[in-house]
Amino acid sequence: MVIQTAGAFLAVISFSLLLEIPKKYFVLSGGIGAAGWLVYLLVQAAAGSVIAAAFLSSLLVALSSHIAARIYKAPVTVFLVAGILPSVPGASIYRSVSCVISNNPELSSHYLVETLQISGAIAMAIFIMDSLFRLGKKK
Amino acid sequence: MNDKLLVETAVLAGEIMLISGAEIFRVEDTIDHILRKAGRDTAESIVFSTGIFASLNDPAIEAITVARRVTVRNTNLNRVYLVNNVSRKLCADLITVEEAYQQLKEIRGTVQFQKRLKDMGFVGVAVFFTLLLGGSARDCLAAAVTGAVLAGAAKLSVRIRLNDFCSNAFCAFLIAFTTLFLERWIWSGIKSDIIIIGAIMPLVPGVIFTTAIRDTLNGDYASGTARMMEAVVIALAVAAGVGAGMGLYQWLTGGSFLW
Repeated sequence: MVIQTAGAFLAVISFSLLLEIPKKYFVLSGGIGAAGWLVYLLVQAAAGSVIAAAFLSSLLVALSSHIAARIYKAPVTVFLVAGILPSVPGASIYRSVSCVISNNPELSSHYLVETLQISGAIAMAIFIMDSLFRLGKKK
Repeated sequence: MNDKLLVETAVLAGEIMLISGAEIFRVEDTIDHILRKAGRDTAESIVFSTGIFASLNDPAIEAITVARRVTVRNTNLNRVYLVNNVSRKLCADLITVEEAYQQLKEIRGTVQFQKRLKDMGFVGVAVFFTLLLGGSARDCLAAAVTGAVLAGAAKLSVRIRLNDFCSNAFCAFLIAFTTLFLERWIWSGIKSDIIIIGAIMPLVPGVIFTTAIRDTLNGDYASGTARMMEAVVIALAVAAGVGAGMGLYQWLTGGSFLW
């Protein structure tokens, strides 16, 4: 689990290169991504649900991105986008396709539904945090 | 205050942000803030994912309206961050409009990292996502090869001006094929599924998806749906590419007379 979290940290930093995140926030966004992935692994181990794991880890990532954005006076996107990436359902998309190829349509649609559910969970998490931080903010 | 230059500055700031992948409400907010510095009656901006309109009007002046079409988009969060800083400083009267315009022009061309470093980014994402998904050292090594192939494929599709759908499908196709090839002939026993998942991560539309959600929440339904559609199309392209790669591999290895 430690190795996987370290992997998440480095993966998010590599992604920051591709997204051109400002250099000084590299370590911070990597940390947010790693924390998110740690929560993902813990929830997955405890509850056994990928969807709950994606939801809770996105919630944490969104919360810490909003806080970091307020502290450093930078757009929320800078932290949010990279941190969310480990929980994006790339694996489910792949498994769904791979089941089509290996002639297993039932399992394929299972993974397709899982993809949509994970995307929905991430969307809900970002929605909730955005709405919370919007409370009491004047237009 | 020079109204014309102010509008020009506002639209330039908006344009850079929109191209670099900021959310619609942030772009509109930035333009509005800058336009309001003029102190005129109406200062309006309308932003879509494909263009910007900004207008400044008052009984005392002739209306100034600027429209800007945005075609190419390329995620670059550093530029979003820099423009945000300039607009903050401008609104707090720390710099003049002329200075802001000059700074924005510089920001439009800034690149933080060289191309070589970005290629390393592709390799890094592939390797570390494999690690993140529980791969071993051997898997990571194979992922590095796949990542390098991906970086090359991405470069090639830019060179020959492949459109987005085809370029994503092409990259995904090469990833799947290379990984399966490596598994069969070079490193047997590597976990090909984890490596493929890790390597397609740079293609999977996580950023667009995140922005789409935030646009929709902010009431920008037109841009939200457009971006959501973009995310779905990219996901389909990646799926089609991976599927084609795996299919070709199966066909080649299944029909043993070929080899």
